[in-house]
Amino acid sequence: MTRVNIPPVMSVTIEDSMDIMIARDTARRAAGLLGFNTSCKAQLAAAVAALTEQMLKAGGEGSLHLNGVQSGSRLGIQISCEAGWLKNLPPNSADALQEQLNTMVDKVEIVEQDPPHMNLIFWLSGPRQIKEG
Amino acid sequence: MATAVLLVEDSKTQAYQIKETLEGVGLKVSIAHDGPEGIRAAISEPPGLVVLDVKLPTMDGFQVCRRLKMHPATRNIPIIMLTEKTSAEATMTGLSAGADDYIPKDIFATEHLITSLQELGVL
Repeated sequence: MTRVNIPPVMSVTIEDSMDIMIARDTARRAAGLLGFNTSCKAQLAAAVAALTEQMLKAGGEGSLHLNGVQSGSRLGIQISCEAGWLKNLPPNSADALQEQLNTMVDKVEIVEQDPPHMNLIFWLSGPRQIKEG
Repeated sequence: MATAVLLVEDSKTQAYQIKETLEGVGLKVSIAHDGPEGIRAAISEPPGLVVLDVKLPTMDGFQVCRRLKMHPATRNIPIIMLTEKTSAEATMTGLSAGADDYIPKDIFATEHLITSLQELGVL
C-alpha cells in the first residue's frame, strides 16, 4: 500500500556530535506529536541517535528528515536521510548498523537511487500509543 | 496529596538537582543512593514513581529495574531511567528491563522528564 507523508515534518542538520543530541530530541518530539508512548519515544530516539552517530563517523554530513506517514488506516513515523555515506563504512559496520536499527524500528529500507536514501519506519500500533486519561 | 517519588541516584550533586526539579512540579521526593537501598525502600513503601540512574554501585539500574518489575509490590510502579548511558544498546536494555521511559541526561533532560511525568499520569 502507498505511504503518504503527513505532518509533523521536521528536519535536523547533521554536522557534528552535538547534532546527535538534537536529532534524538527531535525524534522524541515528532513521535510525541504522533501519539507514541514514552517507551516508544525512547526507542525511536535511540535509533535516530545510532543512525546519526554512524552517519557522522562515515563523514556523512547532511540532513535527517522526520515526518508522519500514513498507509491506509495505519499511522507511523518515518525518518529518512541520504545514505551515500553508508559506502564509507566498513561492510561489517554497515551491516551491524542495519541489523541494530532493525531491532528498534519496524522497517529499514535502502532506496537505491542517486544518491541512495535510507528510510526508517515505525508504526503506531495500539500498545505503542499514549494511554488516554 | 503530592505523589511520592523514589529517586535512586548515587551522585549527591545530581540527586539534589533532580530532586529540585521534581519538587518544583509538586512531587515529594525521597532518595536512595544505591540499588539495594532503592529496592528495599520501594518494597517497604511503594512510591508513585521511581526515577532510576543506570550507573550505581553494587547493582546497576538495569538490575534494579528488573527486580522492581518482578516484585508484586512494585511491578506496576512506573520507572523512568534518567542516565548518562545514551547508547542504543543501553536504551534497549533499559526498556527490555521494563523501564517506562529512558531519558539521557542531556540539555533536554528536564523537559523530557516533565513530559514523561505527565504522560505517565504522575502529574
